[in-house]
Amino acid sequence: MESLNRSVIDGILKKHGNDAGLLISILRDVQGECGYLPREALEYVSQKLNVPLSKIFCIATFYSSFSLEPRGKNMVSVCSGTACHVRHGDDIANKLTRELKLSADKRTSPDRAFTLEKVRCMGCCSVAPAVRVNEDTYGQVTQDAINGILKKYRKT
Amino acid sequence: MKVSGKKDLQILKEKGLASLFPDKTRIMVGMATCCISKGADKVMTGIKEEVKKRGFKANVVPVGCTGLCYKEPTVEVIQPGKPKITYGDITPERVPQLIEAVGKGGVKKEWALYQTEREDLLLDGGYHAYCSKGAAKELKALPKHSEIPFLKKQRKIILRNSGLINPENIEEYAARGGYSSLLKAVTQMKPQELIDEVTKAGLRGRSGGGFPAGIKWLSCSRAEGKVKYIICNISEGDPGIGMHKSLVESDPHSILEGMIIAAYAIGAKEGYIYISSGYSLGLQRMEKAVKDARTCGFLGKNILKSGFDFTVRVKEGGGAYVCGEETALIKAIEGDWGEPRQRPPFPAVSGLWGKPTVINNVETLANVPLIVSKGAKWYSSIGSDKSKGTKVFSLIGEVNRAGLIEVPLGITLKEIIYDIGGGIPKGKSFKAVQMGGTAGGCIPKSLSNLSVDYETLAQAGSAMSSGGLIIMDEKTCMVDVVKYFLSFLEGESCGKCTPCRVGVRRMREVLTDISKGKGKKEDLELLEKMAKLIKEGALCNLGKTAPNPFLSTLRYFRDEYLAHIQRKKCPAGVCTS
Amino acid sequence: MTVRPMVTLRINGKEVKVPKGTTVLEAARKLDISIPTLCYHEALTPYGGCRLCVVEVTRDGASSIASSCSYEVAEGLEVKTETDTVLEIRKFVVELLLAEAPEAKVLKDLAQELGIKPSKRFKPRNELCIACGQCIRACKEIVGVSAIDFAKRGYEKIAASPFFERSPDCIGCGTCYNICPTGAITLKDIAEGEKAVLPDGSEITGPARIIDNWKVGLEMKRCKQCGEPFAPQFQLEYFSKKVNLPEDFFEVCVECRVL
Repeated sequence: MESLNRSVIDGILKKHGNDAGLLISILRDVQGECGYLPREALEYVSQKLNVPLSKIFCIATFYSSFSLEPRGKNMVSVCSGTACHVRHGDDIANKLTRELKLSADKRTSPDRAFTLEKVRCMGCCSVAPAVRVNEDTYGQVTQDAINGILKKYRKT
Repeated sequence: MKVSGKKDLQILKEKGLASLFPDKTRIMVGMATCCISKGADKVMTGIKEEVKKRGFKANVVPVGCTGLCYKEPTVEVIQPGKPKITYGDITPERVPQLIEAVGKGGVKKEWALYQTEREDLLLDGGYHAYCSKGAAKELKALPKHSEIPFLKKQRKIILRNSGLINPENIEEYAARGGYSSLLKAVTQMKPQELIDEVTKAGLRGRSGGGFPAGIKWLSCSRAEGKVKYIICNISEGDPGIGMHKSLVESDPHSILEGMIIAAYAIGAKEGYIYISSGYSLGLQRMEKAVKDARTCGFLGKNILKSGFDFTVRVKEGGGAYVCGEETALIKAIEGDWGEPRQRPPFPAVSGLWGKPTVINNVETLANVPLIVSKGAKWYSSIGSDKSKGTKVFSLIGEVNRAGLIEVPLGITLKEIIYDIGGGIPKGKSFKAVQMGGTAGGCIPKSLSNLSVDYETLAQAGSAMSSGGLIIMDEKTCMVDVVKYFLSFLEGESCGKCTPCRVGVRRMREVLTDISKGKGKKEDLELLEKMAKLIKEGALCNLGKTAPNPFLSTLRYFRDEYLAHIQRKKCPAGVCTS
Repeated sequence: MTVRPMVTLRINGKEVKVPKGTTVLEAARKLDISIPTLCYHEALTPYGGCRLCVVEVTRDGASSIASSCSYEVAEGLEVKTETDTVLEIRKFVVELLLAEAPEAKVLKDLAQELGIKPSKRFKPRNELCIACGQCIRACKEIVGVSAIDFAKRGYEKIAASPFFERSPDCIGCGTCYNICPTGAITLKDIAEGEKAVLPDGSEITGPARIIDNWKVGLEMKRCKQCGEPFAPQFQLEYFSKKVNLPEDFFEVCVECRVL
């Protein structure tokens, strides 16, 4: 791993007082920096905090907000909450999966532009079905609207 | 500013009042997550531009959730001497016309929903009059706030500030009586008095079974050991429910104040606010609230000169529904995977790092300042016999007026769905209401006279839980809904105990077969047996309540299951084989 | 040494007095009352996950189901180890696990003991790891290496090496292999000259120890005296770093050292 990355991680560890009890916050910050949790980063954290690598991997694979795979440029979150489900949120998720050429295992599009994830609830139940792309939330999304939404982010 | 006592708090309050009711126009835009998803942020930007363009003086302020989700984006306008006007469906395109009317000192009648003559401040019993009495007559055709069907049967005490104040402004919070309860608690009351008051009030935990908060506090305060903790649990997580998120985004200080009072009552010097991942706006607003509270001296050492020290840390979860369960939550805060454990020992006796810990749900804590200021007698006068106070619900699904509502416990489902919610949209028929999320159950149309309180819901096979009310119509397949809930729980099971890890998965597999027309005739009996054994054998409440949606739909919609199994048909037309 | 106060409780109507902090399972064993277990091991801290050891406990008039391995005794506790509900839950647990690992002897024996047959409705998974965590706890608490831990959650939860690749910390002691109740862990010692290819593509020549589950292949050290391979080289390096003993201490196998 490049020394530049190491110093960034050192910074994160220092921010959290090198406290192994703050592992989840530490991993979140590492993911914030790297876009995902690279193996080398986790090995480095394990070494510096003196926490077994197996424990770090356990935590990284337990919580759904962590990704061990590099993510696409844009994060697409489809709400799979109850209201969204009842309003056919699954169809939206399926359409997105098709448009982005994804599969059950592949959650990032081949051109690395988008990563799709299903989130449990975005709190936008009254505007179900809801989709979020990065920081933008879209309510009452229809299958037809999807391409238009994706187009916006392809441009940037 | 640092607040050391009554005088300082009064100064803070006055600053807030000047901000809330200025002598110029104040335009408020609802800015909670779901408002933003409907374009409220663009509306806000648009309004600021229009005001600037037209060169008139106005404060444009973000507020939290007004609850009128069915009319979002909502904008409220206060013009000195005039009634407050609430507007709905203000899309970014409508902003120029709206501001044109407002700029001229007028009202854009086509989009106005209602007018308000005076605002009750609730906590200290005062009120603010927007205009002189009778001024509302000028806008004869516009209904008054008290006449709006959506609002009439609601009672906003937990949501007392939601949609009225800027959630990031501690002064506005103080203006409406904020932190006066804390002042009273730490300077005039002893911890035991507080515990007694909360117990007398009948406050029940708002995140599940409704365990009496006062008893939990007492248990912790009596537990051995000097180090105690308090945790505010904001890990809602139920798919499709956003009440807690709305509360945090709209009035974070009410939660914080309640938490500080609770800490004082149990003798905790440190606390954690746990927010599950994915609530970035709520997290941001809560962190700001903590920062401002610290600056004002409501957190830290010698709070309000009482000798009481208390600090709080905000922790964001890693993404696991099971962390809503107390013992798993403790593990998460300790930096591990959300592993639940058997109880006893109960967290109140042995919790975070083995110390006595009170874990209270966010809504439970938001009730605390009310009880302190208005008293147990007042609080217990609201609600039903065994279920005191109010409850915030997310009323969503196939209903005309979906939104965030707050009603006194004991109200009937019928009143909520028809009087408040405006009934089912034309062309659809009411089938059932799902309550209590994944831990709850469906209540069929035939039981809509049921009163909403802990005991009646449990008897009917449902649950209060965190407060989702999902209205379903004839196009909803109950088998599909249960499959959906079980799939959710299957994905969220921590994997520790066999009945949940394997049992829920196998139940879901059988449900999937049934939904695909591949069900076998013994499946219902098998599922019933599995449901019973998972309920009895699972380690924690995630597993124990997992079979509830199945059991409740089997009770009221057995025919639907039979149609899927025997006739390979989905009556609602949802499941495809 | 602090003397723990004694607690009196009743199990299946029989009274027993044990020190505070004893679990119901331990107390039952004192009375020779047998309760089946899967994730429990006397040498490890209890996990309470398998739910096979459940019993009915009554305390202050309220009854509930509890894992006896992780329920601490209390004064006046009433325990029933074979109520109908308790037996139903045990059978359910075994039935579910049998569909996970139909070939595991321990499960087949339990099924016979409890009088149940494999379910016809559940398609067998054929995954021997039942997420009991004994290997993980042993590696952590007894060996002190923590080379493995749980990965994932829910149905997919499994004991794993980091990244499901070669565990960098495994010292090849074989404790996990010895403790696993279902035989989910495979450990093989290959002889001198024998070759094997590890999952990462690398080749290893015997004498070596191969633990498939953790993708580990460790060359064995030969005793300077008797010439027999006796422990993985990596393990001995680990020990010599941990305890302050001269390097040549680990050149000779235990038997040769003792004899």
